[in-house]
Amino acid sequence: MIRRLPQWDLTLIALTIAAGAWSAYLSPYYLNIDQIAESTRQFVYPGILALGLAVVVILGEIDISLASTLAFGAVLFSKFSAFGAPLWVATPLVVAACAALGALNGVLVARLGLPSLAVTLGTMGAFRGLAFILGSEMGYTDFNDRYLFVGSEQAFGPVPASFVLFLAVAIGIGALTHWTVFGRRCYAIGLNKEASWAAGIDVARLKTQAYALAGALAGVAALVWIGQYGSARGDNADGAILFVVTAVVLGGVDINGGRGGILGVVLALFLLGTMRNGMGLANVPGPTQTIVLGALLIVGVLRPVIVQGLARVRRLAFSQPAVSSD
Amino acid sequence: MRLESQAPRGDDATRRGLGQLALRFRVSGVVLFLVLLCVAFALLRPAFMTPGNLNAIISNAAILAIVAAAQAVVLITRNLDVSVGSMMGFAAYLTADFAAHHPGVGGALLLMPLLIGGALGAINGLLVAYGQVSPLIATLGTMSIYRGLTYVYAHGQEITSSRLPHWMNELPDMRIAGVPVLVLIAAALVCLLAAFLNFYSLGRRMYAIGSNVSASAFFGLRTKRIVLFAYTLGGVLCGLAGFLYAARVGTVTVVLASGWELTSLAAAVIGGVSVAGGSGNVIGAALGAVVLATIDNGLVLLGIPEFWRMFVQGSAIVLAATADVLIATQVRHSLRARRRLARTWS
Repeated sequence: MIRRLPQWDLTLIALTIAAGAWSAYLSPYYLNIDQIAESTRQFVYPGILALGLAVVVILGEIDISLASTLAFGAVLFSKFSAFGAPLWVATPLVVAACAALGALNGVLVARLGLPSLAVTLGTMGAFRGLAFILGSEMGYTDFNDRYLFVGSEQAFGPVPASFVLFLAVAIGIGALTHWTVFGRRCYAIGLNKEASWAAGIDVARLKTQAYALAGALAGVAALVWIGQYGSARGDNADGAILFVVTAVVLGGVDINGGRGGILGVVLALFLLGTMRNGMGLANVPGPTQTIVLGALLIVGVLRPVIVQGLARVRRLAFSQPAVSSD
Repeated sequence: MRLESQAPRGDDATRRGLGQLALRFRVSGVVLFLVLLCVAFALLRPAFMTPGNLNAIISNAAILAIVAAAQAVVLITRNLDVSVGSMMGFAAYLTADFAAHHPGVGGALLLMPLLIGGALGAINGLLVAYGQVSPLIATLGTMSIYRGLTYVYAHGQEITSSRLPHWMNELPDMRIAGVPVLVLIAAALVCLLAAFLNFYSLGRRMYAIGSNVSASAFFGLRTKRIVLFAYTLGGVLCGLAGFLYAARVGTVTVVLASGWELTSLAAAVIGGVSVAGGSGNVIGAALGAVVLATIDNGLVLLGIPEFWRMFVQGSAIVLAATADVLIATQVRHSLRARRRLARTWS
């Protein structure tokens, strides 16, 4: 198994352990099972968004409207809660509505051939506006306790239910991208759209499905959000997209599509979560954390350039036939 | 494609005409939309057409027009800058802080935001052109880095207008022949930029790169250097815009101009600057800024809640992008038709 892990994934694991050790050194409160289990909450909702985004990015597109879709989903949940609908009715409906928003992105991108960045930039504003219009500026906090369960309770021992949900989603998306025809076709499209089309893949349909999937996951993330924060408002998860994109890129998914895996994204989320938790305990102020996040994002994308540079240095130093280091 | 080659030749001439019409229609379309918008608001609320209100609209649009022009310069090279708001905030805060500590400083202060903005823009350009980082990712990263650095520098402080130099406070109220100085500055800058992009070889090269990077490189253009230049120019404009905005709002906080990345992109895209690069011009982007300011103003006059703005802005971006793609298809057809016509004549 270890031999099959790509080098970048191993690097991420090593960095996570290093970040944990550093956090333990900085704060005496860090090394505690309850604390660490509790801290996983922090990256569950952006993590679920990142898993959806990863599929879209593997296809060679981008979706920066996901955080706005989450806000729409949270407000929709609040409507169902106010109406008194049971959770098992509300959840599928909200997830379906969010999937519809995602599918709208997909149709605009895949059928009309619009640039995905412009489309999702527009819908990022439009969906958030929709969430405000649907809800009110006051927000909603009187959630039915059943709605809050997933985001606020523990599943077993100190492990939060939301983390279990995250792992389940991660395994599902991992299986979908790596072991199904759908997933393999996503990679094919990301690597070469024209060739995939010539090979008989319905590119437009697959892209629409991927966008719908990402939207649906944003609906699931909305369920986690309302449990965790107990409120629903149009500005929910505003600015979360930076963390989400950082996780996907740092996880080794090529922003131009076709390369990278779900395992990397999950490992990157662990790394980011560990760093955020450690920095929080060490009282590192929020803005500094944002700087670190932004720097990590850029390092994540500069990675191929850095690897190439290192390879060149190594070649010069040893003047041997180069071994690909990635 | 196959269908088209079978189409009768007589169609080609009309196709060609349609394509050119579509291109020309794009900028005049914005003007038309603006006029319709004004008529609609004026009919609904007579207060809209008063000189005072129109003046308020163009004053609001002035600074956004500069930022939209900066965004357009970058978009034309088929790149993108979502750090414009953070660059504005960074340049404005540092400049205001310097001015607050050196009360006697004169007009030379104006150089400071330009230099800071240029440096920040150059960092973006280096990452995108030489680091081969996707423009969205690079500027998303620097957006948070620049904003975070502003926070760290400010230590939670803000700079009130009483600590700024007098001339800076008076700048937004100054008028020449009844027109606010801010509007004149913005108009002059946009016209200069438009002339530069249209008539200078460097400007034309930026369009060439946006249309086709690899073809431009084969042709011998130094594509990396030109992209770096575009980002730096965008940064300088953002620095200036940040300074003017700080002068206008008076109190300089660390969140100054956050969210402007979305607004400036909206203005540029509505004004016909294609996200796919190589088409559109800064005058369109500036008109897009005026459209957005008009919508804002009208919504307020109509008493529509503020959050509709986000919905309207977002939808406007999607609609404008759709229009652009339809036009691009039409233009492609017309180019093909022109080539065929040329072949039949020769």
